[in-house]
Amino acid sequence: MPPIWAMLLVMTAASFFCRVAGYMAMRFLPPSARLDAALKATPLAVMAGITAQALAAGGLVEALSLGAAMALSVATRNDVGAAVAGVAVAAGLRAAGL
Amino acid sequence: MQAPFTLAGFRRGFRTGLALGTAIFVYGLAFGLVAAQAGISWGWALAISITVFSGSAQLAALSLIQAGEATLLTLAATILVMNARYLLFGATIQPWLSKAGPLRAFSSLLLIGDANWIATMRAAEKGEEDRAFLMGTGVPLVGAWLGGTLIGVVFGAVLPDPRALGADLMLPAFAAAMMAVMVKSKAALVPVAVGGLAALAVGRVAGPGWGIVAAGLAGAAVAALTARPGVVH
Repeated sequence: MPPIWAMLLVMTAASFFCRVAGYMAMRFLPPSARLDAALKATPLAVMAGITAQALAAGGLVEALSLGAAMALSVATRNDVGAAVAGVAVAAGLRAAGL
Repeated sequence: MQAPFTLAGFRRGFRTGLALGTAIFVYGLAFGLVAAQAGISWGWALAISITVFSGSAQLAALSLIQAGEATLLTLAATILVMNARYLLFGATIQPWLSKAGPLRAFSSLLLIGDANWIATMRAAEKGEEDRAFLMGTGVPLVGAWLGGTLIGVVFGAVLPDPRALGADLMLPAFAAAMMAVMVKSKAALVPVAVGGLAALAVGRVAGPGWGIVAAGLAGAAVAALTARPGVVH
């Protein structure tokens, strides 16, 4: 295996590239209504993707936890608090043996 | 012409970051424990956590090292594959973040992760003008990640079960809660449906990281193709 400092260097470079390349590439894309729409839709699509994967990988506890997070978020308009509550629901249900 | 970048904005982000920090800390512990098992000392483990700052990529790199399959090429490829979604994060946050000026923008990019990207995109959508928000979300996450790494390497045996704490659901819960309040029209359900389906289809064969990339790209593509120029949703 390569020495650890060389491995660290390569991992650092690859991570740095992933962090800045997408950002820098945007400078070369001409602004347009289509690009605007795409940029606006991406976060929602990613959030839905993360949620769907967690639901598919999980069972009842995960569904109840994420369902609670969404319902509380809409009801209270406090999305961060709702997310923390959703996690607490999962921890509670698992502690109860579900 | 530069957007505000103040302590007040940093504090708003910091509060959100604190809520995410517990889960990140628990995963830092897990990374530290596996690093110790792979024979990596605490100093190098911390260095990896500082420079890579991505749980999924670091754990994947460690599994290569533990299997004795780590070469500079396989390590670079692993990080690029695991963090491909960061390209998307950087691109989508650029219109908002670039108004902070290059130095502030690039330093903020070093602190980006799945959860605080989601939180910052949500804040920007809600009208957050202060570009220090992103850095504010990142600082507690880095602190939790480094603290977890260090304690995990040194006291691996104290590792709690992340599942018992619900830490595995912190990112999905944030995603779900923020998505729920961002869907304000029927049209917004299109990227939700497209993203969910794309993540499930691609994630099943290529792993969850690519599932996220597929969700973002599919949602963006459908939105671009169906956009009516001049109409702002």
